[in-house]
Amino acid sequence: MPRHRAGFAGLAVVAAVATWLLLAGPDRVLGIDAGNAGVFLLMAVGWGSLYAISRIPDGGLGETMSPGEWRAWLGLAFTLVIAAYSLVHAPVFQGPPLWHNPDANRVGRNVVMLLVAWMILARVLDARWRRGVRQDERDREIEARGAGAARLALVVILVGYAVLLSFSPTERLDWAVPPLIGHLLIVALVVSCAFEYLVIGFGYWRDRR
Amino acid sequence: MGNGTPVGNTIRRLRFERGEMTQQALADACGVTRQTVIALEAGRYAPSLELAFRIAHALGARIEDVFQWNVEP
Repeated sequence: MPRHRAGFAGLAVVAAVATWLLLAGPDRVLGIDAGNAGVFLLMAVGWGSLYAISRIPDGGLGETMSPGEWRAWLGLAFTLVIAAYSLVHAPVFQGPPLWHNPDANRVGRNVVMLLVAWMILARVLDARWRRGVRQDERDREIEARGAGAARLALVVILVGYAVLLSFSPTERLDWAVPPLIGHLLIVALVVSCAFEYLVIGFGYWRDRR
Repeated sequence: MGNGTPVGNTIRRLRFERGEMTQQALADACGVTRQTVIALEAGRYAPSLELAFRIAHALGARIEDVFQWNVEP
């Protein structure tokens, strides 16, 4: 067990470095794009985690947490990273149109890579429960509460955007170019998903507290 | 505010009376996750009528022997 803990602690350190590279690090590290390096490291952490999880015998992982709760915390982690990365790099969408904007394309590519890493990780994690029941009526109830919370969060954010764009003096809206507004709408979707996963994860946590 | 439910149950006792049936075995018999059985036994989740019948059937008991309404009239 201590070896497991040391392994997971090491992965957490690498994940922290990867997140720093993605969000706040320099543009280039040793001549490599820092965003690409961050995504690569996060994917390496994902695969390392999967390997570590696969080494834990059946029952050692699912003792207390159900498949739905694993999915929720994983989804929360990825949506928070994607939302933070998208917000930190939002100014690049104020540049030229997207097809002439390599910086915006790089941000989009890294977000897609994060989504792919999330999908792969979720699929492989799900495979651990392929023999048993993965979802039941309690999971559906908790997910319904999460979906309701996400809908509410999305409405609040969109109303906030609408008020901001409608009531701000025009001279203060120089930043609000169409590509950036589109990008911020996507961020709103991601944040609402993060809120959904948070409510779902909290629902499971409260049930087993 | 606590997250308990007014629906009490004797699932844990009945499992042990039925040859120490495991939570996983009961979960498999009822088509739910083991974590749902844990939440039920801890009184943190009130099942649907259908699941209540499934559990009673799996434990070989009548539904009123498994679940009780713990609120004074």
